[in-house]
Amino acid sequence: MAAAMSSSCCASSLRFIPFKRTLFSSIHFPAKTLILRPLKPSEIPSFRRTIITFQKISTGIVPPLSASSSSPSSSGDLQPIEELPPKLQEIVKLFQSVQEPKAKYEQLLFYGKNLKPLDSQFKTRENKVEGCVSQVWVRAFFDEQRNVVYEADSDSLLTKGLAALLVQGLSGRPVPEILRISPDFALLLGLQQSLTPSRSNGFLNMLKLMQKKALHLEVKGEEDSSSESSFVSTPETKDEASVPEVDSESKPGLVEDLGTEKIDDSDSGSNGVALGSRGMRIRERLEKELNPVELEVEDVSYQHAGHAAVRGSAGDDGETHFNLRIVSDAFQGKSLVKRHRLIYDLLQEELKSGLHALSIVAKTPAEV
Amino acid sequence: MEGVAMKLPSFKSLSPNAISIGHRSFSRVRRSSSLSVCSAASSSATISTDSESVSLGHRVRNDFRILHQEVNGSKLVYLDSAATSQKPAAVLDALQNYYEFYNSNVHRGIHYLSAKATDEFELARKKVARFINASDSREIVFTRNATEAINLVAYSWGLSNLKPGDEVILTVAEHHSCIVPWQIVSQKTGAVLKFVTLNEDEVPDIEKLREMISPKTKLVAVHHVSNVLASSLPIEEIVVWAHNVGAKVLVDACQSVPHMVVDVQKLNADFLVASSHKMCGPTGIGFLYGKSDLLHSMPPFLGGGEMISDVFLDHSTYAEPPSRFEAGTPAIGEAIALGAAVDYLSGIGMPKIHEYEVELGKYLYEKLSSLPDVRIYGPRPSESVHRGALCSFNVEGLHPTDLATFLDQQHGVAIRSGHHCAQPLHRYLGVNASARASLYFYNTKEDVDSFVVALADTVSFFNSFK
Repeated sequence: MAAAMSSSCCASSLRFIPFKRTLFSSIHFPAKTLILRPLKPSEIPSFRRTIITFQKISTGIVPPLSASSSSPSSSGDLQPIEELPPKLQEIVKLFQSVQEPKAKYEQLLFYGKNLKPLDSQFKTRENKVEGCVSQVWVRAFFDEQRNVVYEADSDSLLTKGLAALLVQGLSGRPVPEILRISPDFALLLGLQQSLTPSRSNGFLNMLKLMQKKALHLEVKGEEDSSSESSFVSTPETKDEASVPEVDSESKPGLVEDLGTEKIDDSDSGSNGVALGSRGMRIRERLEKELNPVELEVEDVSYQHAGHAAVRGSAGDDGETHFNLRIVSDAFQGKSLVKRHRLIYDLLQEELKSGLHALSIVAKTPAEV
Repeated sequence: MEGVAMKLPSFKSLSPNAISIGHRSFSRVRRSSSLSVCSAASSSATISTDSESVSLGHRVRNDFRILHQEVNGSKLVYLDSAATSQKPAAVLDALQNYYEFYNSNVHRGIHYLSAKATDEFELARKKVARFINASDSREIVFTRNATEAINLVAYSWGLSNLKPGDEVILTVAEHHSCIVPWQIVSQKTGAVLKFVTLNEDEVPDIEKLREMISPKTKLVAVHHVSNVLASSLPIEEIVVWAHNVGAKVLVDACQSVPHMVVDVQKLNADFLVASSHKMCGPTGIGFLYGKSDLLHSMPPFLGGGEMISDVFLDHSTYAEPPSRFEAGTPAIGEAIALGAAVDYLSGIGMPKIHEYEVELGKYLYEKLSSLPDVRIYGPRPSESVHRGALCSFNVEGLHPTDLATFLDQQHGVAIRSGHHCAQPLHRYLGVNASARASLYFYNTKEDVDSFVVALADTVSFFNSFK
């Protein structure tokens, strides 16, 4: 069953997250926060079941989580272990059961050894954990159920172990659960990881990056799948994303800067700008050639009215920048680059006559 | 036994005589009983540099209370003095004393306390001047640290003397504090930075440096002793070459002043900088030495009180150096404590300290290189090449952070891992980071032995996981 989660414990740009998994049921509290509990007994090892049941009986009141996932919850000094993803709880308990520091390090290194290596193409700047004395990279992507899957690597064995811990503990979990994790649990590991945000604190920085990437995926996913297609982004990033030579890694219309909030509350597909002649032409062409299940053409030229390239080249009515959302079978079997190429090819005339840039979301019906 | 106990306190009152008296009494004690009284570790056998006497490291150990502690269940072995040194009780007492008995603002006061504070403050300046053999104490400008001192020269001398096309010569092995200020200033003035690379001994190439010096050169800014390579540069020769073309020389002496005799008149450097916290003094104070006529020609760096002569609404006139460059209330207590540190070091004698460190440094180098897969950066020690008492190194296949973490957690050994504020150097050497163990005169052979044993254990621990 799907559970809706209000935004109090995540960044305000998250508004509506449909869950397709049946793993969770939500426990509704009078307060705005919802706490999700893993429920399916078959998924959980037997000893864990006991703990969950016990906790369900005794705690009618779970303290509301504080807004930011990186600060500890208001009720006590540490975030309760039960709020962590199940695998992470297991890991914490494992480390707690190992008393001797040296054995803990051995355990940590063991995790690191089994970490799946990260392909070097993903060792990019945006995947690098900032402020680490050693080099650490983290990659995140959605699986079919929109759980976040992580991959990581490091040139230092200890940070590799820590990364492996986090990857194992957080992978396959949904975004809100990941965002809720406070770094307090590191204290429970007993590895004497400091939680101060200093330069040598790879652990804190890693967790933060993983949470940031999860949020990023969520925001991106929302833009793709939600019906509210109007979003605010800086002209620069939009232009970069929509130049015909599209980088296959980045999706168009991407909000790179996470500080930018997706705020618009309107439910309508456009923000009220009626399509001019070019817009109509684009719409006709795409409808004719792609036979789309869904098609949205939005004129956002006004957002680019400032920059020089627009002023001279407009042609008709200053229609220079459009957001396109197309769901069509025509994209079946085609890579992202190929899809965009297809669209650009169809709109060649417009591009030659003053259409400056397109921001494209191209999906097959199955992907929606 | 009682005799031993009574002799110990004499270490704390540090005059040259006290040390030697204590020294002699310890020898006597050792012969008569098997007590090892000097170092905190009662289990270690006392190793001496010369027969029948106790090594410098052991002798001074009791002056440094901070060294007598356990970290993570092991005895602390502090091998990070190149990052900051530990302070003897005499320095701490001086600082405490200042605040407890005569804290007062300096230079302008009339009353007793302020006069006393001023006297002590200026006395500290004289002590520093004497320590580096400056001809006049007015050639010593107190700053916050060496970094600020270099910035002072960059902004004050640099901005008013560098023109487009002028060249500033540095090495790739410089500390960031002797690179970044010049980058900033060269951007503002249009001057060009040139960098001397290393030769095959992993020392800055002196021949290349010589060739680089030309009539366009206005400044040569180099380290005396490298905090990563442990190599030293022939400053006297460099100064001669530079002065021949009318260029000035700034010496970054952070790793030399604390460890050996530095004589600015002999070196004939135009500027020299050092930090107190690396030479047994407190943090928050350092100094710039500048030749008198140079300082007199330089405009102020920071503006405010102390550095002015007369202040009107539309303009001000400035004080003579060093006051011209000491705006605001200085770190008075810290300067006085630095003076106490200078006294302490002079009490032992810089030549003695240097001699001890050369030997201990060589011991460190030898033991470290005896471990397999260890790569130490910088020149090999030899008759002609004296390394500083530090080793930056990497172990094949292991990350320095892993080493440092494990050494600390499991063995209480404190070393540093990272780029040691020398990213260009590490890039040049082709590594991301290195580990560094650095010694000071309060370290002992046992410290080095503990370190090497711990390192071997660490390496085998990590290797078992590969």
